[in-house]
Amino acid sequence: MSIGLILLAAVSVLILFGVAQRVLDKMQLTDRAALLIAAAIFFGGLIPDIRIGRVAFNIGGALVPLGVCVWLLIQTDTKKEVIRALIGSVITGGIVFLLSRVMPNEPEEIFIDPNYVYGIVGGILAYVLGRSRRAAFICGVLGVVLADIAVALINWAQGIDQSLILGGAGAMDAIVISGLLAVLLCEFIGEIIERMARPGERVNHDPIATPVRKEDKR
Amino acid sequence: MKKYLLIAWFLLLLFFPVLSLADEESPESVYRIVDASGKLLTHYAGVPDAGDEYISGDNRHFRIQTVDPENQTATAVSLGTFQLPDVSWLFESTQPVSAQRRAVALYCTHSDESYKPTDGVTSDEERGGIYDVAETFKSALEQQGITVYYSDETHHPHDAGAYRRSRATAASLIEEGVDAVMDIHRDGIPDPESYESEVEGEDTTMVRLLVGRSNQNADANKEFAAQIKAVADEIYPGLIKDIYIGKGSYNQDLMSQSVLLEFGTYTNHKEDVLASTGYMADVMNKTLYGGVKGAAGAESKAAVQENKGGWSGIFWLILAFVIGAAIFAFASTGRAKDAAHHFKRTFQEMTGGLTGKKNNKDPQ
Repeated sequence: MSIGLILLAAVSVLILFGVAQRVLDKMQLTDRAALLIAAAIFFGGLIPDIRIGRVAFNIGGALVPLGVCVWLLIQTDTKKEVIRALIGSVITGGIVFLLSRVMPNEPEEIFIDPNYVYGIVGGILAYVLGRSRRAAFICGVLGVVLADIAVALINWAQGIDQSLILGGAGAMDAIVISGLLAVLLCEFIGEIIERMARPGERVNHDPIATPVRKEDKR
Repeated sequence: MKKYLLIAWFLLLLFFPVLSLADEESPESVYRIVDASGKLLTHYAGVPDAGDEYISGDNRHFRIQTVDPENQTATAVSLGTFQLPDVSWLFESTQPVSAQRRAVALYCTHSDESYKPTDGVTSDEERGGIYDVAETFKSALEQQGITVYYSDETHHPHDAGAYRRSRATAASLIEEGVDAVMDIHRDGIPDPESYESEVEGEDTTMVRLLVGRSNQNADANKEFAAQIKAVADEIYPGLIKDIYIGKGSYNQDLMSQSVLLEFGTYTNHKEDVLASTGYMADVMNKTLYGGVKGAAGAESKAAVQENKGGWSGIFWLILAFVIGAAIFAFASTGRAKDAAHHFKRTFQEMTGGLTGKKNNKDPQ
């Protein structure tokens, strides 16, 4: 393999790693925790899947993102927010499932790569339901997982002996991409709408003028 | 809360009509691709997109300019002759190859794809005839001394989620440290003659190479496909039908030496398709490794050593990242100056302060 191709692979991984770290950093995680989770997603993705019968779990592609979802749900302040995130996940899962069925079969016929569509759905939905980055991540991750489970159940009901592999592509899996994209989109929509609501207002990023309070960091 | 539950219930109800819809076999669109004068270049099963590229069997290069869904016709403009890589080394006296590990990966995203004349159906919901092609191709590659990581995992149903499901298969195969990954398909063009061919006096079918252009590996994979075609054209003329570079990723973002192979179409006899796998294995061996079976000595030449598509991939990837980050920074600050400040801080944080003094975080 040429040096260019090796470097291309390295740059792709570094950029995704950087984006993952930034996104996790926005969800009440410390810099170090965000870095560790991003590393767990990347290195966990390289470990062979854990297989239980016809179901296989990838550590980085499914177990770590699902673990983050559980942690975010536990950390959530109100019960209402938890229910909102879970309902959002079920709806995202339903939409992901529906989109897989109604969108054209071939990727070239779809306006955007299907791997990104799921994250976009999760991000929009999380914003509509609660304007929450945490809910966006949960919707993005759980939505894809639920849709995959639904497809597997239908296959098994039809007698098709097919494995259910959750997060098998590790850090590059639709579960991870969808979770990250949902947070980015939710934040992007929020920023745009806020900017439209308060045009011309300058954001002061000076840490002394706007100190980060402990409760803000939570 | 009631409102959310009602929305959820309504969406769940939508599942039922969709489930029945999924069982119906929807006919695939087959487009005519014509040049500016209206002359037929090829057929394409699927919907072409403006910007797609087409490299014909005789190496004429086109770009799709307009798509007319009503008449299922796409018009392409000529970009001249496509310059295939130089493979004159194929006829030089080959040296023994070094003791390198040689490995490729095979899998089938569309698990239902079958060949109607021999399999009896175009689509088999359990396990399509395409797996017979993949397994014969695997054996042929192994005869060339190549280790083949092959997955017979299925990815049903044949819907927009198939590539999401096969992504896990592709990624796990790539983790084995393979030199190339191939997704085995058959085409959906109704005319069997468009794929029928004869190689070294044997009845075979041709192979179409499909490359996705919506990912960072697009240029590298396009070059890889061109290398395969260059080798095949030299040693087995008539084996490679053409190259189609379409919108989409096809999971080719996972590896820079990744290609989708359309082994014939569903109206071809599978025996003819199977006959092409041996020739294709030889082509892949020569493209990737210079085609020498030996296991000691100096490096041999191989087409893929010349692949320069990675550099443009790096450029476009970094450019896309910088543009995306700049848009995000501007959206969150509203002013170019603040956006630059935000961008700089983010970069400093991401590099652990290596590029400057690391500031405190922005307030959340």
